[in-house]
Amino acid sequence: MTHQKARPICQNALVNLTDGIVEYFATPEEIIKKFLGGRGLNMYYLYKYLKPDCDPLSPDNVLIIGNGLLTGMLVPNSGRHNVTCKSPESGIIGDANIGGFFGPELRFAGIDRLIITGRAKSPVYLYVEDGRIEIRDATPYWGLTCTQTQVKIKYDLGSDIEIECIGPAGENLVRFAATRYGLKNAAGRCGTGAVLGSKNLKAVVARGNRGLPVADPEGMFAKYIELRDYLNKSKVIGVMGRVGTPLLYDVSNYLGAIRTHNSQQTVFFDTLNAEEIHKYVDKMLSCYNCVVHCRHRNRLGGEGPEYTSEVLVGANIGVADTYQVIDLNNLVNDLGLDVSSTGTYIAWAIELFERGYLSAEKVGYTLRFGDYPGLRRLIEDIAYRRGFGDVLAEGSRLVEKFGPETADFLIAIKGLPQSDPHDVRYLKGFALGIATASRGADHLRSRPTLEIFDLPSEVRRQIYGEPIDPNPTSYNSKGRLVYFHENIYATIDCLGICKFICHGFNSPRNLNYTHFKDLIRLAYGLEFSEQELEEIGRRVIDLERLLNYQLKGVTRKDDTLPARYFDEPMPSARAKGSCVDRAGFNKMLDDYYALRGWSKDGLLPAERVAELNALRDAT
Amino acid sequence: MARQKQIYARPALCAGCRICANACAVVNRGVANPRLGAIRIRQNLIERYEFQEICRHCEEPPCLDACMVGCISKDARTGLVIQDQSRCVGCWMCLMVCPFGAVGRDVANHVAIKCNRCQDRKTPACVEACPTGALVFEAREDAVFEPFFTEPTVAS
Repeated sequence: MTHQKARPICQNALVNLTDGIVEYFATPEEIIKKFLGGRGLNMYYLYKYLKPDCDPLSPDNVLIIGNGLLTGMLVPNSGRHNVTCKSPESGIIGDANIGGFFGPELRFAGIDRLIITGRAKSPVYLYVEDGRIEIRDATPYWGLTCTQTQVKIKYDLGSDIEIECIGPAGENLVRFAATRYGLKNAAGRCGTGAVLGSKNLKAVVARGNRGLPVADPEGMFAKYIELRDYLNKSKVIGVMGRVGTPLLYDVSNYLGAIRTHNSQQTVFFDTLNAEEIHKYVDKMLSCYNCVVHCRHRNRLGGEGPEYTSEVLVGANIGVADTYQVIDLNNLVNDLGLDVSSTGTYIAWAIELFERGYLSAEKVGYTLRFGDYPGLRRLIEDIAYRRGFGDVLAEGSRLVEKFGPETADFLIAIKGLPQSDPHDVRYLKGFALGIATASRGADHLRSRPTLEIFDLPSEVRRQIYGEPIDPNPTSYNSKGRLVYFHENIYATIDCLGICKFICHGFNSPRNLNYTHFKDLIRLAYGLEFSEQELEEIGRRVIDLERLLNYQLKGVTRKDDTLPARYFDEPMPSARAKGSCVDRAGFNKMLDDYYALRGWSKDGLLPAERVAELNALRDAT
Repeated sequence: MARQKQIYARPALCAGCRICANACAVVNRGVANPRLGAIRIRQNLIERYEFQEICRHCEEPPCLDACMVGCISKDARTGLVIQDQSRCVGCWMCLMVCPFGAVGRDVANHVAIKCNRCQDRKTPACVEACPTGALVFEAREDAVFEPFFTEPTVAS
C-alpha cells in the first residue's frame, strides 16, 4: 500500500482573482452529511458567498467548480462535476454538470472544489497540482478556440494534464457560452463560460499525482465488478454504447415530438437517425470510469453529435443533411457555445424574421430555415459578437428589446431555452419537469419518462412508493413522478455519477439509493440510509428554490411553459392534437408543491428557510 | 516451461475509460487514481488515438539490468518480472530503458510503478475490470496483430 498524506474528504480553494489570493479550507463532515458534494455543496457555497443582487458578469459573481463525493473513485461513471454560478443568461442559478476527465484530475491534484471570485486584470489560467494553486498568465492562449487552447497548453506544459477552458464565445461574454473539456464535454447550460470570461479566466489546468484514499479497496473493486455486470445487462445501456443518444431521435420522430422549426412542426427527416449519424462515427469513447461509452468520435474531426445537438442545430433550424449537422455541432463545440441555447435562439430569430419582427435591414442578411451557409456564419458571428450575432448573443434578454409578444415564440422557461429536443406537449410529466426545473427549461433535472415503458403496476408502485397513473397524457400523479426523479437526480449530481446509469433514467433498473449508500461506505466509511440520501436530494432542490427566490423572485408564476406548448396543438404523427391544458397543468403543479411542502405560491416554508440559513451560518 | 498466460491489449476496443488503471491502483495501492496504476491509457482526443501501455514481462528485461538497487527480479518459476517497491529509490532508470513505456512514476512518493501481474489473483485486476473486453488474459502461441482503428464501435 502506498503511503498517502492525510486528506480531508472535501478540500476547497477560495480564489480571489482581483487580489490574486488563494485560501484553502476543508468542508466539515456535518456539512458533507447534509449536502454530499457536487451540485449540493456548490449550491451551499453559492448561498454562502453570493450577493443576490450582483451582476452575473461582474467580479462579484461566484463561480464554483465542484466535484461530487464519489468523483474519481472506482465507481462506474464517476467522472462528473458541476460548474455553478449566477447565470448571466437567466439571472437565476446557473448550474451545469460536465463529464470527461477534468473533475477526477482536479481531485487527484488535491482540490475538490474551486470557488472563484473577482476579476483578473489580464487573462489568466489556474494551474492546480499537489493541493496548490497558481494563477498564471494566459495571454498567449486568449482568442484561441477550445481545441486550439488545449493543444497549445498541452504543448507548453506536457500532455499529462487535463484542461477545462472557454472558447471565443466565453471570452466575448456571449450569455450562453459553455465551459469545455476536450472536444465535446461541456458545462454548457446557463452561460458558465461567460462568467469565466468575465473573470478573465481562460482555463483551469490540473495535474493529479496524488491518490484518493479508499476505505475498503477490495470491497470497492468487488462492488465495481458487481455493478458493471448488473449495468451491462441493461438493454438501454447496451444500445447507448453502440450508437449513443441519437437512438432517441427515431423514437421521438415516430411519436411526432421532435422540436422542428422552432416547435412549429414536430417531425423531421430520417437523415438524422442513429444509423445515418453512425456512418460518420469512427469509434465510441468513454468519459472517466464509464461503462456506457456513449461519446462518438466523428469523422469530421470532432465528437458528437448527441441527440440534443443533432436536433437543435439540425431539425430546429431546418438543416437536414447529416454531414452539415455534424459540422455545425463541431463548430458550436469548438467555439465554446451551448448547443441547446444556440439552436433555440437561432430558430427563434428565424421565426421572428418570418413573422416580420426582424427585417433584413436589421439583421444584415435574410434568415431562413435550412440555410446552412448562412446559419453557419450566424453561429460564428454569435461567438465573435459580429453584426447580428452580437445582438443574438444577449440571449433571452432580447425579449425586452424585440417586444414582449416575441416571448411567446421563444421555447424557454425562467429565461433559459429548453435543452431537450423533445416537444413536451405529449408527455405531461415531462412538461411539468421542465417547468419546475431549478435552472430553467431543463430535462436533466427530472426527465420522468418511465411511464412510456408500460411497466406492470406493482413495479411502478415499487419505484414511486404509491400507485401511478400509467397514461403519459393524463394529468394524474405526475407531481409524484417529477418529485421522485428530481430527488434522485439531485442526489446523483451530488455524488458526481452520470445519470445514464441512474435508476429511473430511461430504465426502471440501474443504480438507486441502496447502491449509492454502499458505494459511499466503501469509499469513505461514512454511513447513510436510503432515506437520508433522498432527503439530501430534497434539501438541494429546496436550497435551489430559495436561491432562485432571492436572486429573481422565482415563484409559481415562473413555473410555467412556453405559450406555444399551451396554445398550439401538435401538428403531426401520433402525438397530433396534443397540447398542455392550463387547468391540468395547474393541478400537476399543485400536486408537486404539496409533495415538496411548498406553499400554493411555490415558496418554501419558514422553518425550512431557517434550517438552511442555520446550515449556511454554521461554518 | 509451459506457456504462461499473458495480458494482451486490444486497442481497437479501448474506449479510454481508464477503469483498468484505476482498478489497479485501488487493488494494489489502496488509492484511486489511474496514474498510480501499473497500466496506462495513452489517449489524445484531438489526435484521435487511445491505446494501453502495459508491461510485457520481457524474457530479457532491460529494467532488471538497469535497476541500480536490484529491486526488480525475474521469477524463475513463472517468468514474471517483479518489482519490490519498498526498495525502489525512484531513480527512474527503469522508466528510461523500458522500450514499451510500461513503467510509471508515483511522483508524490517518489517510487516507480511497475506491473507485478496481481500474483495473488486468478485474473489481473485490470483485465477483470475492463468493461469493453479491450484487455484479455490468455495463453497465445504467437502474438497476433491487433488493429488500432478498424472497428467503428467498441463491443458492449
